[in-house]
Amino acid sequence: MRRVLRIARREYKVAVRTKGFVIALVVAPLLMGGSTIAIILTKNRVDTRDKTLAVVDHSGVVANALVEAAERRNAESIFDEETGKKIRPAYHVEIVEPNTTDPRTQRLELSNRVRRGELHAFLEIGPEVLHPGEDQDACRIAYHSKNPVMDDMRGWLGWPVNTQLRKRRVAEAGVDESTVDDTLIWLNIQGLGLVSFDEGTGEVQDARRSNEGEAVGVPAIMSMLMFMMLMMGAMPLLHAVMEEKNHRIAEMILSTVKPFDFMLGKIIGGVGVSLTASAVYVIGGIIVIRYMDLGEYIPYHVLPWFFVYMLAAIVMMGAILAALGSACNDPKDAQSLTLPGMVPVMIPVFLLFPVIKHFSQRIQFSAPAFGLNVLPKSFRLSLPDCLRRRNVG
Amino acid sequence: MNAVELENVTKTFGSVTAVDDLSLAVPEGCIYGFIGPNGSGKTTTLRMIMNIFYPDRGVIRVLGSDAVGSRIDHIGYLPEERGLYKNMKVRDVLKFYGELKSGRRVDDEVDRWLGRFDLTDWANKKVETLSKGMSQKAQFIATVVTRPPLVILDEPFTGLDPVNTDILREAVLELRENGATVIFSTHDMSVAERMCDFIFMIFKGRKVLDGTLSSIQDAYGHDTLRVRIEDGRESLDNLAGVENVRDFGRTQELRMTSDCDPQKTLAEIMSRTRVRSFEIAKPSLHDIFVRIAGPEAEERQDEHA
Repeated sequence: MRRVLRIARREYKVAVRTKGFVIALVVAPLLMGGSTIAIILTKNRVDTRDKTLAVVDHSGVVANALVEAAERRNAESIFDEETGKKIRPAYHVEIVEPNTTDPRTQRLELSNRVRRGELHAFLEIGPEVLHPGEDQDACRIAYHSKNPVMDDMRGWLGWPVNTQLRKRRVAEAGVDESTVDDTLIWLNIQGLGLVSFDEGTGEVQDARRSNEGEAVGVPAIMSMLMFMMLMMGAMPLLHAVMEEKNHRIAEMILSTVKPFDFMLGKIIGGVGVSLTASAVYVIGGIIVIRYMDLGEYIPYHVLPWFFVYMLAAIVMMGAILAALGSACNDPKDAQSLTLPGMVPVMIPVFLLFPVIKHFSQRIQFSAPAFGLNVLPKSFRLSLPDCLRRRNVG
Repeated sequence: MNAVELENVTKTFGSVTAVDDLSLAVPEGCIYGFIGPNGSGKTTTLRMIMNIFYPDRGVIRVLGSDAVGSRIDHIGYLPEERGLYKNMKVRDVLKFYGELKSGRRVDDEVDRWLGRFDLTDWANKKVETLSKGMSQKAQFIATVVTRPPLVILDEPFTGLDPVNTDILREAVLELRENGATVIFSTHDMSVAERMCDFIFMIFKGRKVLDGTLSSIQDAYGHDTLRVRIEDGRESLDNLAGVENVRDFGRTQELRMTSDCDPQKTLAEIMSRTRVRSFEIAKPSLHDIFVRIAGPEAEERQDEHA
């Protein structure tokens, strides 16, 4: 064991004393969190130019309501309440008489107007939207624009169109709208944890309110951190072992220690590197999060398990990658084996959101080989109840 | 007692038999030279002794134990291609290997060896900055810094200038004086002749020579005439009873057939040119090597085949 630790110590010192390690320590989270930073930086940088929507209303019951809804929106929602600055584009609705004889030509003309920039989009409302029947085309509401999938206007239209249709249906049923106004009110369902019993105080504790950031963000961040640690601690083993084999360093080491001890020393060194980097990230993260007064969201009870699973994952992946490295004869071989070597690391990343969303035993057992770093993603959901609290009722 | 014993050891790589039914015994406290042409199986044999390769068949006994890898602590090994971490400082890498081998601090020994090999000024520089000769010396220090009783050196003198060759040779001789057994492989026959107590030659995976230099030479008899003549090599052409003439410039070696009378040959040479010196000698190791592994031997083997 003394020799194993001596090899591990060398591996660790050589790794953490390099400029590459320090740079990776700083750059890796920036790269990983780059998209988040980009979203934050670009959040308020929206196109505030006015947008015109042409509406071809074959039903004759929606277009005017859309004009009113757009005017209401333009009056209430496009300016910052404090600064008065325009923060969203105004929507203008242009009603176009339907061409019932040649609707295809009308669609082409409107499309050309969109292409020329005269319109942002056009909406074609089918004649039977009020009472949808079996004819899908007749009850279709079609939104045409250059980029209809990622379009804020399309998202906004859903509410005023459906509200108007509901009002018309209520009126046709002979019901006074003012008496059933609350039938159209939509209530959200609040997500809460389970009520628990606190043995310390002897009182029943109210359930904590959970949110998406906590439920998805925490396990996602921890999983990405584990992924990064694997990349820093385990992935270099493939190239390191290949180089030591090619440079005959392995011969020198193997003239002193058994191959198992040699590999074990290298893996322990990799574990040390990952522990160092993860400790920096975790401690740094805790300090930053507490500084932002978000300390209540830090899952302290999960952190020990995070480290346990991370160590297990690095040992497993390190062993696989070191073995692959020992099979390589030159850097080309190592390059070729890098991708297959990364597959066991990537699969848990692909499984991240299915596991978070549909956490179940079945998912865990369906990927036993990769379970080591899939499981922690579920800790956020399962550990608080099974380890800290005793269920009541 | 023998430091190393091999009994009927065979090692194959695919369809190639690198070492074929090899047996040898290396007595303790001697310098044992491995010679043989490239690809003959020298390094494979040394690697099997070092437990880097496992033999397909046979027994390898090192320092009295045939348990695989059990005496590895007691062997210093210098591989054919140098195995030092290029990004580490010289002193650090030597300490690493020393501590790994011995389990104790070796700072003093490292500094002593660095001083002896004139590498003190390079101790805190990275290995990658060393010249080939310096790197070779550093590698040698890594091999012997823990004073192992058995030292295995795979071509230790390759790439060294004469000064460094002498320094290394003295260090090897000192190891033997201190009781260590030294096995080394070399292509330099003069080094093997001068340094080795025993010489072992392997050719195409099989043992072809094993013994002291004199016993090997005795096996070939006094079949060599070493002469210095005034005229060139041409005056030695077509001598009766002479199989082969090797020209070293100022001297020539003539290999005689078994029924050749050296006095008659001398008389014939004197009839052609003036002879400055004349010696009936045993064949040199170089000559024996060439006889076994040279092109003529290949041709003879082909003819037999």
